[in-house]
Amino acid sequence: MNASVRISVSSLRAHKRRFAGTFLAVLLGVAFLAGTLVMGDTLRASFDTMFGDATSGTDAVVRSADTITTPGESQGVRAPVGAGLVAVVGKTPGVAAAAPDIQGAAQLVGADGEPIGGQGPPTLAGNWIDDPELNAYRLAEGRAPAKSGEVVVNRGAAEQGDLRIGDTTTLRTPDPVEVTIVGLATFGGEDGMAQVTFTGMTRPDAEKYLTAKPGEAASILVRAGPGIDQRELVDALTPVLPEGVEAITGQELAEENTEMISGQFLTLFTTFLLVFSGVALLVATFSIHNTFAIVVAQRTRENALLRALGASRRQVTASTLVEAGVVAVVASAAGLAAGIGIAAGLQALFPAIGFPFPEGDLVISALSMVLPLAVGVVVCLGSALLPAVRAGRTAPLAALRETSVDRSGASRARAVVGTGLAALAVAVTLTGVVSPSLWLAGGGAVLALAAFVVLGPVAATTAVRVLGAPLDRLRGVTGALAARNALRSPRRTAATASALMIGVAVVSLFTVFGASLKATMDQTVSRSFAGDVVVSTPSFGAGGSGLSPALAGAVADRPEVDTAVGLGRGVAEVDGSGRALTVTDPVGLERTFDLGDVRGSMRALGADGIAVTEQEADKQDLEVGDTTRLAFTDGTTETFTVRAVYGRSELAGEYVITREAWAPHRTQDSDTVVAVSFKDGVDASEGRAAVEKVARAYGNPEVQTRDEYARSSAGAIDMMLTLVYALLALAVLIALLGITNTLTLAVHERTRELGLLRAVGQTRSQVRAMVRWESVLVAAFGTVGGLALGGFLGWVLVKASDGASNSAFAFALPPAQLPVVAGVGLAAGLFAGLRPAGRAARLNVLKAIATE
Amino acid sequence: MNAASSATTTRGTRTAARVAGAVKVYGAGDTAVRALDGIDVTFPAGRFTAIMGPSGSGKSTLMHCAAGLDTLTSGAAFIGDTELGTLDDRRLTLLRRDRVGFVFQVFNLVPTLTVAENITLPMDLAGRGRGRGRGGEGGSDGSSDPWIDALVDVVGLRDRLRHRPAELSGGQQQRVAVARAFAGRPDVVFADEPTGNLDSRSGEEVLNLLGRAVRQMDRTVVMVTHDPVAAAHADEVVFLADGRLVDHMESPTADRVLDRLKAFDNGSDARSDGRRDSRSAGGSDGRFGSGFGSEGVMP
Repeated sequence: MNASVRISVSSLRAHKRRFAGTFLAVLLGVAFLAGTLVMGDTLRASFDTMFGDATSGTDAVVRSADTITTPGESQGVRAPVGAGLVAVVGKTPGVAAAAPDIQGAAQLVGADGEPIGGQGPPTLAGNWIDDPELNAYRLAEGRAPAKSGEVVVNRGAAEQGDLRIGDTTTLRTPDPVEVTIVGLATFGGEDGMAQVTFTGMTRPDAEKYLTAKPGEAASILVRAGPGIDQRELVDALTPVLPEGVEAITGQELAEENTEMISGQFLTLFTTFLLVFSGVALLVATFSIHNTFAIVVAQRTRENALLRALGASRRQVTASTLVEAGVVAVVASAAGLAAGIGIAAGLQALFPAIGFPFPEGDLVISALSMVLPLAVGVVVCLGSALLPAVRAGRTAPLAALRETSVDRSGASRARAVVGTGLAALAVAVTLTGVVSPSLWLAGGGAVLALAAFVVLGPVAATTAVRVLGAPLDRLRGVTGALAARNALRSPRRTAATASALMIGVAVVSLFTVFGASLKATMDQTVSRSFAGDVVVSTPSFGAGGSGLSPALAGAVADRPEVDTAVGLGRGVAEVDGSGRALTVTDPVGLERTFDLGDVRGSMRALGADGIAVTEQEADKQDLEVGDTTRLAFTDGTTETFTVRAVYGRSELAGEYVITREAWAPHRTQDSDTVVAVSFKDGVDASEGRAAVEKVARAYGNPEVQTRDEYARSSAGAIDMMLTLVYALLALAVLIALLGITNTLTLAVHERTRELGLLRAVGQTRSQVRAMVRWESVLVAAFGTVGGLALGGFLGWVLVKASDGASNSAFAFALPPAQLPVVAGVGLAAGLFAGLRPAGRAARLNVLKAIATE
Repeated sequence: MNAASSATTTRGTRTAARVAGAVKVYGAGDTAVRALDGIDVTFPAGRFTAIMGPSGSGKSTLMHCAAGLDTLTSGAAFIGDTELGTLDDRRLTLLRRDRVGFVFQVFNLVPTLTVAENITLPMDLAGRGRGRGRGGEGGSDGSSDPWIDALVDVVGLRDRLRHRPAELSGGQQQRVAVARAFAGRPDVVFADEPTGNLDSRSGEEVLNLLGRAVRQMDRTVVMVTHDPVAAAHADEVVFLADGRLVDHMESPTADRVLDRLKAFDNGSDARSDGRRDSRSAGGSDGRFGSGFGSEGVMP
């Protein structure tokens, strides 16, 4: 063992506790990272197996070849195939069996009257395929539906809605259908395909409720005869299929399904988690750097002695790095183990909370072992590099001088560089906001973060003075001492606070952005919606089944109601790219929504006319009277005349088309929302009651006022924010560990001083208060910095999004949440200070004053 | 208590601090060390007493126990009439803050506080003196109290009040420590080798300050030292060896103290020193009790 290594190892052994914080920070970051990777891989593999099992009996699938995908959507819309094709396929040589697969959206209502699912994953219904090989679902209990009104539901959905065999409930297709459950099904051996709900009906029922026209199916499932493999089957099928219809193997279908979940949902999910583990590791970098910086400073004399005795710079640097390396490797390995443990724990936990986590062993790939280890080691070594180099630079003479731990961080160079960076950051950011470019704005955000970190030590002195001023007044000499201690090493205080600052900045960024999104929605609704109430189903993502298209008409028939207009959704390709169409009654639309300036007339769209927003019209170079071609999913292309161009698109969408124009191309009919305005003189609550009464007969969707509608639209944002907060808790925890660690080291460093204070009459509780207040001050500095940075970045993000997208974004500072964030930051500081404060208070006076 | 009361002959009968039957054992079993082995000593008020003895004689331990920094294994320690053993940590801390002053060898001052703030520290900790409302730099003139004002002049640091300890020389730092020790008008000031780290001139200044405080301001000082020159500033010297009180000298001079110490080094007992002013306080222990006659020897 060479000298550097021997020195590091003995030093590590002697000062294990000093590195406890570093160890934990690395461990937590690595565990998060490893857990995410392992869980992602495991989920992916499990879904593979599940889809493989579920579709193993299907050898080929016949379906329309083309899909239309609108921007921001993961799954395209595919036209149905004629069910008549089943007979043709069935007669093809090599085919053992063929069955139409009819699919649509349909939401079950649970025993408590509340709809099941709908918050993200799709709520599906289809025909129950009697051939068990072709049916992805297996009958687990009961029997298959035999007559109209009988259904099989997947067991997960039944449990969620507390439904049993024999129960009668409502299925929103979206028209409410009375159904009786006769059987429960499983998917690939599980209670369901993740959280997707499925209702299997008889084929006639499915055709009646789920397709626009009878005799249509989403696809045809085909089973091969003995000795025929999937590829041969597809080759045999392809020649008999009409144009625009394709055959793919069952294998390909399974891969597509898996890709749909793992490629999109899982990738998004893991990316999201990886971003947050990145934030956590970034925060950890600061804590680790700080620990090593302090340890090196405290060891100045020791290192100087080594240098005086003939150790080279390189040897001193190396011994510090080896120390960091040992901590890094041990902590990363522990973190990896913890991460795998977390993944295993989640695998066990998910089923318990009703999320059917597909069974299977944990998948631990080489990547998910190597990456977290490498990241942990690099982060730890990288953070320790500068302090190690500084250790190497220790002058041999320093051994003879009084140790001076205090280094001024507020150098002029730092102030100049920091101010320059800050100016550059603001300039780049503002350019990004004005131009508008999200990339520039993002770059500016990174620069702003860097500027904050560089300026930290410069700002620390002033900030702690200002923040500590009331303390001095309220807590007397104890408070004054706390503030002065926090001021001792501005660089150290700043580095400690920086970790918390980043955590708080990200929290406030999301808080501000979330509040702004809500304000935007509020503004959009109040600006564009001119009606009184809105009928909608509370759902988001792919869930829910929308509203019955008959609802709008039924509501309109009420005497209290002036206009009720339903907004449906269609898709078409315009100029080669998918576009969402708003299918509605344009006259009613104009009466309940503020469309801004309208050129042309919304009144006469007819079957061959469309209305377009001004922005889209500019993009496509369209004017009133021009024609444009829309390609639909059924393969047809029609020419439409632009009859109106309107200004506001927020709620009405970019293209408006009449129901009659859409009818030939429609798939399953549903409205996403029905907007209602009352007649003059109708009392709001009276009108609402009338609408609710009608709605009850249509599956009881929610009737909301404008404000309620805006608020419920924001519900998804709150859910997202909650998730973000939960994930950021780790980063904040690591920042806290950093504060605790710094303070513990500081207490150790000030042993004599504490002893002196105790000797001349500082009580234990005064010592405790002093350390605690120092901690709170450091946390306050980090919190205030984080709020400022996060607020600024939130503003940038909102403004840049505003510039980069069609809809107008409103900027809002949440008045309640930000003080809560600040309070949490301060409480965190108080909490972080508890242990070091306790330790300082426990110091033995005599030992402390006797310490060399 | 005979020996104890006999030490208070020169001035009044007030007792600033005393220990009785003081035993302090560090460690346990085979490794146990008896740092104090049954000591009775009284530190009379208004006197400057020096505690001397070779390294390991227990002089620092005696001071720590008498000052309430450490606790006795058995026996009792008093500040005034308060028995320290009956106090919990909090009350002991408050007693140190309000009734005892300290001057240590090094590291006497809090580096983040100014000279003025260091001087008033015990009072500030008590929330007295400058008052809670004027913490920090604002109250650093330290002149609100005429006593402290006078102290500042005595130690000669008026122009240094706003400086930090790091900006002062070692001697100046010790003078600040002396001012701090007397600032709260404590019953007794304990000084632990206060000149140990100073050159002789600075040391002389500090010792003169301690002496003036006793003689002109009627304060009480107990000083641990191994330096005969320092001890000569005291009104009386008590000698410790192996945890016991072995001798006592009134109005010491450096030479006499040095001779007495040499006697320890020679391994013989103090008997040989004819000029000694010995009133042994070790009466409870037979070994020394016979050695230094319990009846007074003339000065």
